[in-house]
Amino acid sequence: MPITLKIQRSLEGKQWTQDYSLELEKGMTVLSALIKIKETLDPTLSFTASCRSGICGACAVRVNGNAVLACETPLGDLVKRYQSETLTIAPLANFVVLRDLIVDWKPKYTNLKKIKPALQPKDEFSAAAGCKQSPADFKKYQKNSECILCGSCVSECSKSTANSNDFLEPFVFAKAQKFVADSRDKDVLAHLDPAVKEGLWKCFNCQQCAAKCPKGLNPAEDIEKLRIMTFKKKMSSNAGSDHAQAFYDDIRDTGRLDETKLGFKTEGVKSALRVPFAYRLMKTGKLAPFEKTEVIPEIEKVRTILSAAKEVK
Amino acid sequence: MDKMNRRTFLKVGAAAGAAVLTSGCFGWFGDNIPAAVRNGTALYDVLIIGSGGAGMRAALEAAKQKGLKVAVMTKMVPTRSATCMAQGGINGAARHTDEKDSPASHAFDTIKGGDYLCDQDAVDFYTERAPEVLWELDYSGIAFNRKDDGRFDQRKMGGSTYSRTAFSADITGHAVLHTMFEQCLKHEIDFISECQLLEIVTAKGKFSGVVAMDMRSGNIMPIPAKSVIVATGGYGRAYWVRTSNPFSSTGDGIAACFNVGIPVKDPEMVQFHPTGLAVNGVLLSEASRGEGAYLLNKDGERFMARYAPKAMELGPRDLVAQAIEKEINEGRGIGEGLSSAVYMDFRHLGRAKIMERLPQVYQLALEFEGVDIAEQPVPIRTSCHYSMGGIDVIDYKTCATKMPGVFAAGECSCISVHGANRLGGNSLVEILVFGKSAGAGAAEYAKSNNYEENKEALQSAVEGWNKKFSEATGRSTGPSIASIRDKMALTMWNNAGVFRTEPGLTQAFADISALQEEYKQCAVGDSSKTFNISFMNYVELGNLLVLAKVIISGAMARKESRGSHSRVDFPKRDDKNFLQHTLITKDGDKLKTEYRPVVVTKYKPEERKY
Repeated sequence: MPITLKIQRSLEGKQWTQDYSLELEKGMTVLSALIKIKETLDPTLSFTASCRSGICGACAVRVNGNAVLACETPLGDLVKRYQSETLTIAPLANFVVLRDLIVDWKPKYTNLKKIKPALQPKDEFSAAAGCKQSPADFKKYQKNSECILCGSCVSECSKSTANSNDFLEPFVFAKAQKFVADSRDKDVLAHLDPAVKEGLWKCFNCQQCAAKCPKGLNPAEDIEKLRIMTFKKKMSSNAGSDHAQAFYDDIRDTGRLDETKLGFKTEGVKSALRVPFAYRLMKTGKLAPFEKTEVIPEIEKVRTILSAAKEVK
Repeated sequence: MDKMNRRTFLKVGAAAGAAVLTSGCFGWFGDNIPAAVRNGTALYDVLIIGSGGAGMRAALEAAKQKGLKVAVMTKMVPTRSATCMAQGGINGAARHTDEKDSPASHAFDTIKGGDYLCDQDAVDFYTERAPEVLWELDYSGIAFNRKDDGRFDQRKMGGSTYSRTAFSADITGHAVLHTMFEQCLKHEIDFISECQLLEIVTAKGKFSGVVAMDMRSGNIMPIPAKSVIVATGGYGRAYWVRTSNPFSSTGDGIAACFNVGIPVKDPEMVQFHPTGLAVNGVLLSEASRGEGAYLLNKDGERFMARYAPKAMELGPRDLVAQAIEKEINEGRGIGEGLSSAVYMDFRHLGRAKIMERLPQVYQLALEFEGVDIAEQPVPIRTSCHYSMGGIDVIDYKTCATKMPGVFAAGECSCISVHGANRLGGNSLVEILVFGKSAGAGAAEYAKSNNYEENKEALQSAVEGWNKKFSEATGRSTGPSIASIRDKMALTMWNNAGVFRTEPGLTQAFADISALQEEYKQCAVGDSSKTFNISFMNYVELGNLLVLAKVIISGAMARKESRGSHSRVDFPKRDDKNFLQHTLITKDGDKLKTEYRPVVVTKYKPEERKY
């Protein structure tokens, strides 16, 4: 079957989309198609790849706006999924593009460094005798250790797309959670503190990172786990955690969310700056400051659910 | 012309401003390399080429010496190297699973597995340090699978007497590599990223620096350094069509050392892994057989009973690989030609065990071959996997070569611990033991030696490469890189593969010589200075052609069968004449073949039986 790959290209400030037609062969992956194009149609097409078995992370690209590892993604499946013989291939989003499908990793490593991405072994362990850890504790972070630094999660992250200046990449949070969950590490705060400072509470919870990770990691869930840990560690409050706490308190007290108080509980006196915003909300009927929040009749059931949820590890 | 109105004036001003800004951007390529390297003022004490496990471990060790300038250069970015593809595990007699194990037993298994071509003093040094490396890794945060008592678990791999292989499911290499990277970030190791090594430069018989290409800008630049640790990996891509190696295993560092007169030792010792996927050579871990998978021929027979009745599927790689090729040659395989295969069968292990212990194997078989291994056997065939040979290291304690200032570690080196056949789980521990030794060795050298400056030689090497770049990228006609590469791989697989003969090797040598002539006229097809991957591939192919000839020369001269070197015309091991290392050295345009006796201490060579 003939197919067309529309590849987004760039070189020295120029950007263009180039169409390549080729025959869809049995077993052809996105990577083998890119190689075929480079070797038979256009030697200037540039991309990186190394292991071709889904473990080195060098070949992630976007196909029709979704990040995939080129080496392990069969083209035939994509043709079926999108019901089209024309597919668009582009470099990962939320990266600086160096040429064609090649992106700049350096800024990502700089961010990775911020969460202190190395084990800080407990004092009872030594380099001469290693560490001890139960198989159950090992399982708590095993999945997090499988990240291959391919960048798929970053590419599709809604928060990074909106503004990446006050937010770390999803894989960086997954790495932080790896150490926070590792029973061998003595200083959870060393990883958790920078995570909070660098946007832990700013995730939109859109789940794109979890959906796109080719290794089945779940950075969105890791962000949730890190947030829970900030409460367990009684870390100083901030707008994000106070916002979550305000939700919790309201639901526990009345079973309803009191939006009038939410702003104050989240941001404190700073919320006074939001008066014009509150006024616009009132005008459109989204906020009713004079309405009394009544306790719902089945409040005890709600409280039972809350205490049951607390018992879940 | 009328007076310019205000709006036009602003438009022109804005356009000019934008032009100035963007032209500034064209000249800015990010900070993949330190500014001092870019502007030519850097002088390193220890420069490491290659960011795999050996390179990063070496950097960590060298950087322990305060005040030394250390950096790791890599042609991609860190964590893309072959180390991450190691699956099964890492060996060391830590005795967590088997009390009876010992470094001596590990040494004996290694030497016997290597068909007695190992230097026994180096092997003792290596196996004695192996358990320390495992505990140190654990302390560095590697995700090792655990036993109930809290210590890391160890399993059994092919050719090993005891269970001594620590593991992270079946992605142990990935775990080792990322643990090293974490440590490098912690210790603020400098990386010179996306820089392709082009040449090693010497002065008065000592190392003086390297010439490399910054892939982002296309700049070819000299990097002066007191010492270099070459850790660039193996040359498995000489067998392009059938190899488990990554695209990057093109022997760059070995070729660079060879070109300045350092010998390549035992190049003919190329390991073929028994279980590559039939469809593309991608490896299914040795852990498959470690966990109990069977090898079956087309009649459903467990054929290993004929070749290694005791060890069966857990025989060493060379024996199992040769058995598979023999089954295929004698008509008991499935398929034809390059797509011939036998089966590996996991069904009796049950889905639960497969998913827990071999998740990557499961995934690879499903993705590339479309086989659910819990339901069906998967077609497999041998695949070029590992280079036992490499840069001749003359002092295993420091990883020094005969050229002062040049050190080597990892798959690119030949320290002679693997001999004629490497055991599963022995490479990951090698890169860490000898990465550490090389880091300490090079640091010591840098402290006690003056820099041998040779600006003219570095500059003339840079000019030579600039000229080569213009010529190779300027040609619009000529054979393509891919066509030459595929012809090289085909003759290597057919004539210098699992089974070798005199006429076959002679043919291969003639083929490669002809391809080297073609190479001189080949068209790169891309003349851009920005991230010119085609030019990188051109350089890599040049290196592979040099090494292909070196492999063939070693194989022609070794008129015996030992380990992975199987000569159909000389089927027996010949200790009288060949208990020796092959040394191939560049001699003008020719190759010189010499020998050095193997170091034998405690273990007298005997026939291998499994």
